[in-house]
Amino acid sequence: MTDSVLHATAEAGRAPRVRFWHDPSFWGLLPSRLLMGFALILPIFIIAAVSVATRGAHGGFAWDFNLAGYRQILFNEGWTGELEFTPQYLLIIVRTFLLAGATTLICLLFAVPVAYFISRQPPGRKAALIYLVTLPFWASMILRVYAWMIILGKDGTLPRLLEYLGLPSGMSLMFNDGATLTAMVYTAMPLMVLPVFASIEKLDGTLIEASHDLYGSRWVTLRRVILPLTAPGIVAGAILVFVPSLGAVLEPSLMGGGKQMMMGTLIQLQFGGGRNWPFGAAIAITLMALVMGFLIFAALRAARREAAL
Amino acid sequence: MKKYLTATTLALCFATAAQAEGQLNLYVWTDSISPAVIEKFAKEYDVKVNVDGYTSNEDLLTKLQAGSSGYDIATPSQHFLRVMIDEGLVENYGANKLKAYENIEARWRNQWWDEKQEHSIPIAYGTAGFVVNTTQYKGPTDSFKYFFEPDGELKGKIAMLSYPDEVIGAAQLYLGIPFCTEDQAEMKKVLDLLMAQKPSVAVYSSDNIASRLASGEVAAHFWWDGEEVKARTKGSPFALAMTKEGMVGWLDSMVIPKGAPNRDNAIKFIEFMSQPENATEQMNFYAHSSPMKLVQEKVVYKKENAPELYPEVPIVFSRTCSPAAQDLVTRVWTQLLQ
Repeated sequence: MTDSVLHATAEAGRAPRVRFWHDPSFWGLLPSRLLMGFALILPIFIIAAVSVATRGAHGGFAWDFNLAGYRQILFNEGWTGELEFTPQYLLIIVRTFLLAGATTLICLLFAVPVAYFISRQPPGRKAALIYLVTLPFWASMILRVYAWMIILGKDGTLPRLLEYLGLPSGMSLMFNDGATLTAMVYTAMPLMVLPVFASIEKLDGTLIEASHDLYGSRWVTLRRVILPLTAPGIVAGAILVFVPSLGAVLEPSLMGGGKQMMMGTLIQLQFGGGRNWPFGAAIAITLMALVMGFLIFAALRAARREAAL
Repeated sequence: MKKYLTATTLALCFATAAQAEGQLNLYVWTDSISPAVIEKFAKEYDVKVNVDGYTSNEDLLTKLQAGSSGYDIATPSQHFLRVMIDEGLVENYGANKLKAYENIEARWRNQWWDEKQEHSIPIAYGTAGFVVNTTQYKGPTDSFKYFFEPDGELKGKIAMLSYPDEVIGAAQLYLGIPFCTEDQAEMKKVLDLLMAQKPSVAVYSSDNIASRLASGEVAAHFWWDGEEVKARTKGSPFALAMTKEGMVGWLDSMVIPKGAPNRDNAIKFIEFMSQPENATEQMNFYAHSSPMKLVQEKVVYKKENAPELYPEVPIVFSRTCSPAAQDLVTRVWTQLLQ
């Protein structure tokens, strides 16, 4: 990032002032800019606009400014007909964040040792192992979740194994938070392993030796040398896992039994059965704002820490 | 090379939007239309038929509301059909002037969901209730009590649908509350009933029902009559509960979404599906009752081998709720799963 910026200023200094349309790179980048604009930025603006529109009687919306969608996140008519504070949607938001956080943490716990192990292999085996890590991506996501349903379900692989070990038979390990978490960790794992691996591999072994030479114990070496140096990869992996996990719909409904809503299912309900598009859009925008806030906070902290070093 | 690649990619991207002569795009309940009948139609009229599926009326409504779906035929249930007509989402194709209209059994013509029968021709009807796996559950099934207030064998072995639509209707039947009530106190009772049932529910899902019930993962599942008949006559140990409080009724009709690219083919298809011969073949595939005149001697599912399709308990058809009533339904569902 910084590299390219430096590069750009250097170039601008060298060449005489040119209009941007004389710059071939502008035209070269135009398709990607248009694609980003139309496929990414514009839809977000549309959702933001819908979130302040007025709901139609049976779904859909009219272009009349209305903040009811946002109000509804916190205040709703109670069973007595009065407007009252309703924590139900906050509860769903908090649950979603907890689940995404747990997924990220578990992924991290598994991914660091795995990445470390892979990075210490000879080159040929390293490539093969990385290939294996990305292998699940070749199958469709719904297929991977169904695979877990077969493993955990009634008469599935795992219950059979437990039965063999003397535990009661006919157990089903499906339809609970553990099952949801298992599938989420499984689907997200490669997203964590790859960036962590990339930064661990760049880790200079001599620095670890130096730490030991200076009487740093294993723990101190890990905490003061290895972790700070691999932090960029860990942060990148954490973001890659955390953010998509917030929008998970498939795992909670298939593995968790859909007994507790997540933000993804809540949004889906509002656009479908609830027939309240503006509210659905308002939740989506809120979710995005929360994620953005979280990322900006993380980025600022990282920048401050870098400045302090 | 690159040019060809780009061209191919573009062509692929827009292939679904192609509106070539001789096409017909169906958007119907998943696996609801007999592939054999579709093939027969395709051959006879030299039309390429594309089939897409949905598993809830809500999915269909949302897609039509989003506009220019590119579909020529859809099959909403009666209470959604009413909304689609009122919102101008479906074409008035003069259904009552078609031959198909003459083939509708008299009692299904000109109902409240399409009084003049201008927008729709019915294709199937049936009921929704709960189905048990008889190897898992041997108790009585003549009341919704065993499903909504289970004890013993069904505890923790119950599955509901992932959408409130017919499930709430069944709860209302059990409690004796009218469909689409706007009375908060009455809907609170529905919520209380479902909350009390929740600990006994293993899963809220509308997918994969047959395999979930057959494997014994759950012992009772909210389901539709025809699906149960189809699975049972193929050997699955299922039984549809004939609940004395009544069952939730539905009727699906063929409509043409506004702006359908192949309107003429759609009308040809509706006429074709409504001929007694084809309607019979369609019913034998779908296993739900047909509202059309049939070739009786060719009907596979008769009263003797499929009594589920000829219920003797009261059938109450889902109604089109006012927005206020619909909000109460959504509120119950959200609080149930919050």
